[in-house]
Amino acid sequence: MIQVQAFLPELWLVGSAFLVLIVDLIQKPTSTKTLLKGIAVVGVLAALLSLCCVGGCGSCPFGSCGSMESVPQAFGGFLKTDTLALFFKFIILMATLFTLLISFRYFKANPTHYTAEFIAVLLFSAAGASALTSAQEIITLYVALETLTISSYLLASFMKKDKASNEAGMKYLLLGAFSSALLLFGFSYLYGFTGTTVISEIGKILATQVSSPLLTLAVIMIVAGLAFKISLAPFHMWTPDVYEGAPTPITAYLSVASKTAGFAAFVRLFWVGLSVPALQPTWIGLFAVLAVLSIVLGNLEALPQRNIKRLMAYSSIAQAGYISTGFLAGGQLGLTAVLFYLFVYLFANMGVFLAISIVYAKTGSDQIEDYAGMWKRSPLIGIVLLVCLLSLAGVPPFAGFSGKWYLFGAAISKGYTWIALVGMVFSVVSLYYYLQIARQALFPEPKDPSPIEMNWLEKSVLIICVVFTITLGFWPTPVMQMAQSAASSLFN
Amino acid sequence: MFPVLATILLPFAVSFALFHSVVQGPNILPVLSTLIVAPIIAAFLVMIAPEKYARWISLATASFALGLGVKLFLNYQMGISGFQFVEEIPWLKNLGISYILGVDGMSTLMVLLVTCVYFAGALISWNISLRRKEYFVLFSLLVGGVAGAYESLDLFFFFLFYEFAVLPMYLLVGIWGTGRKEYAAMKLTVYLLAGSAFMLVGFLAIYFTSNIHTFDIRALSDLSATGLSVSFQNTWFPLLFVGFGVISALFPFHTWSPDGYGSAPTAASMLHAGVLKSLGGYSIIRVALPLMPDGAKHWLPYLAILALINMLYAAIVALKQTDFKYVIAYSSVSHCGTILFGICTLEAAGLNGAVIQTFSHGIVAAMTFALVGTVYGKAHTRELSKLGGLTACMPVLGALFVAAAMANVGLPGLSGFVGEFLVFLGSYQSGFHGGFTIFQALFPMGVLAIVLTAIYYLRLVQMVFFGPVKDPHLKEEVKDGSFIEILPIAFLLIVSLMVGLYPKPFVDMSNLSIAPLIDNIGGFK
Repeated sequence: MIQVQAFLPELWLVGSAFLVLIVDLIQKPTSTKTLLKGIAVVGVLAALLSLCCVGGCGSCPFGSCGSMESVPQAFGGFLKTDTLALFFKFIILMATLFTLLISFRYFKANPTHYTAEFIAVLLFSAAGASALTSAQEIITLYVALETLTISSYLLASFMKKDKASNEAGMKYLLLGAFSSALLLFGFSYLYGFTGTTVISEIGKILATQVSSPLLTLAVIMIVAGLAFKISLAPFHMWTPDVYEGAPTPITAYLSVASKTAGFAAFVRLFWVGLSVPALQPTWIGLFAVLAVLSIVLGNLEALPQRNIKRLMAYSSIAQAGYISTGFLAGGQLGLTAVLFYLFVYLFANMGVFLAISIVYAKTGSDQIEDYAGMWKRSPLIGIVLLVCLLSLAGVPPFAGFSGKWYLFGAAISKGYTWIALVGMVFSVVSLYYYLQIARQALFPEPKDPSPIEMNWLEKSVLIICVVFTITLGFWPTPVMQMAQSAASSLFN
Repeated sequence: MFPVLATILLPFAVSFALFHSVVQGPNILPVLSTLIVAPIIAAFLVMIAPEKYARWISLATASFALGLGVKLFLNYQMGISGFQFVEEIPWLKNLGISYILGVDGMSTLMVLLVTCVYFAGALISWNISLRRKEYFVLFSLLVGGVAGAYESLDLFFFFLFYEFAVLPMYLLVGIWGTGRKEYAAMKLTVYLLAGSAFMLVGFLAIYFTSNIHTFDIRALSDLSATGLSVSFQNTWFPLLFVGFGVISALFPFHTWSPDGYGSAPTAASMLHAGVLKSLGGYSIIRVALPLMPDGAKHWLPYLAILALINMLYAAIVALKQTDFKYVIAYSSVSHCGTILFGICTLEAAGLNGAVIQTFSHGIVAAMTFALVGTVYGKAHTRELSKLGGLTACMPVLGALFVAAAMANVGLPGLSGFVGEFLVFLGSYQSGFHGGFTIFQALFPMGVLAIVLTAIYYLRLVQMVFFGPVKDPHLKEEVKDGSFIEILPIAFLLIVSLMVGLYPKPFVDMSNLSIAPLIDNIGGFK
């Protein structure tokens, strides 16, 4: 039976994407694109609201509109939207919403004729990411992942006249395609061993088998293929160039939505499919190495950066490393920590990128030294940079701190104290480069004191980012509870 | 509207607080939470109010907090040991995190210290003109964080409040500092957070290793319940000690401290030297010792050597400084060595000495930094070679500085004496239980540090305030401190005198926490 609730958010996204394209055909080329933007925002908001009906969590404010006895599923159980998927979907959809908002400001500074195409491709990409989180089967998972990444290649190279953007798209395409091939190769071995593509079935069959070199090879290829997507070192080479060259909204999108989708794939594949005694030590060991490498390399390479987008790229590599420590610890505690941290990361990172795009629209520069005196030009941006960046560094009382507390706590509970120690020590290193930005923004007098203006929507979104980032540090309880129930849905 | 509000607010706050401190009635407010929340509310008020009322709001809150601090001190039930004024709210139940505040004798003293320095700091910042609004916002947030750290009985919140206090310090030093302020601010922050990285991992390791999964310090202090093995304690005790020690400028992690104080604005150095720095010694007594007594017994004799190097090395370095403020900064490092040394003795007298010394150092260092800041604000230089004969133009400040120097040196009758005396008594006593100990060998060297302190302070007094006036401009232009400048310094001096002349209530108060702790651990016997 096909329950439409299982892919309701994706329907909204794809539907509004098509609507945007059609409306663009009908509209005069000279018209303002306000209607298109409106359709896109409404589509994403509807997708977000539909999560409520899909969940039927009992706490739905609209009553029992869609309360399900069981988890909604479709296509013979290939798509199953459990609480875990809902949590991931929420983050991805919020990230898409933020990205749209950032892009409006970005395209004001860099006008383009292809606003409709941009919006549509972004929505398709989000639909892929969203579908990925509920995929229960490796082909579906792969198709969803490719929908996400192929759209991302387009988006990264969207500024046609800009060399950096073209370079970013090309690099991303070549390395991304290579990693997809690796991933698919690994999947094919997995299928060859088990004769099924359903992740939970794979888990059941593998549980009875002993380890073999080919199986290990398959695991290594899957890890490598997916590690590319979430830019874990040493598969992170593409990240700085792509993040720097891509349009700022896309950098934001890649750093949050794409990463979240990658972790969703990781969680499903490894903690359901490959969580068997024969394989677990192998991939946990692999992840330990990748996590530590990402934390060390990401943070160290971020230190000398002068371009804020490039710096955020290295920062996002390090962040992926932190999240991986919670992932490899696994279990209820570890996955809760991963989910909570992704939630926190969403607001902190999006706040920073929104600020970056607003500043860029005014100054036309992404260099850190051009942030000098931001406190005077726009106090709100100064506060956003301070709060969100320090949250990424994990400094109390901001949300990143409680996030790291749970991540490293989960790692320590499984005996990976040394990883936690490395993570904490390099968090202090990261503080140095995050503070460099905050220092530029808050300490000196501005060279050019003209104020940086923004509209009420951007203002309120920035304030929301700051408020969430501060509140979740002090009072993480409600989000933690949601994350806990999401993580436990994986183990039922 | 705001002048009206401010003029009403101040007397109201003061009278309410005084009324509250005198009357032993039912608590209208949860005192401890109020002490944290009031400065944070003040920060918000400052943010939204026009700039000229910032200092009034700050002062009103500070007086209110001082009243609460005094109230806490007076209303503390001396007969009962254990924690009082406890507030407990479950936060994340399945992770063992609760919002628990509570004070025992030791932390009551610390809270009193925080409120005293807060009051004095609010007054000394009266004439800040650069970005005044932001200054008072950060200043208030800093106090909220420090107060929270002293009151928290949950490791999560302890950590949260502690780092909450570090951040405003970074901005205060970086924006309002002098000299190499950005370098100093970054150094200070990175050092302190590197220390706390070890703290955090240590706390989590304790949580997951102990049999009771909780961050509640009261529950964790019972070793028979937690069942932390000796090898675990031996691994983690030194790491935690060093992590806490970094806050107290433990050698060799002290270098952030002189640079930080040298550059910080006056009120920030007062709060940092007086209050935040004391957190290191405090948390060793509060967390490291009771949670890991076996590790403590194993490591403290060795760590005592680091503390001793602190005392002596910093004192020697202070002798050679050419910058007025750096002398005081190194003196503060040296005094923190005394505190840590007292803790290392693991004797009732030594630990009580450490607590009293913490209190005294807080008051005295704040007073000294306030004096340096005031003098610098008038003379516009801190070079010792350019200063001289300042008593001629600022007699009151000169007299106050002599008193502050004497308090630093440990002159009987002022607070410094009590703490140092008890610390050395403790280190001397430590041998009585089982022959000669390392502390008896070390303690003459510790006494040597006091002699050095006397030398560099007398040198300082002589170079800055006496002798011929080196710069004739100073004599004509510089006036003595105004009432608003003298008031906080005099206030701190009076507190120091109270402790020095009648230390009994303070020592009794501290002993309420120390005696059961020593009973539990059993010292080096």
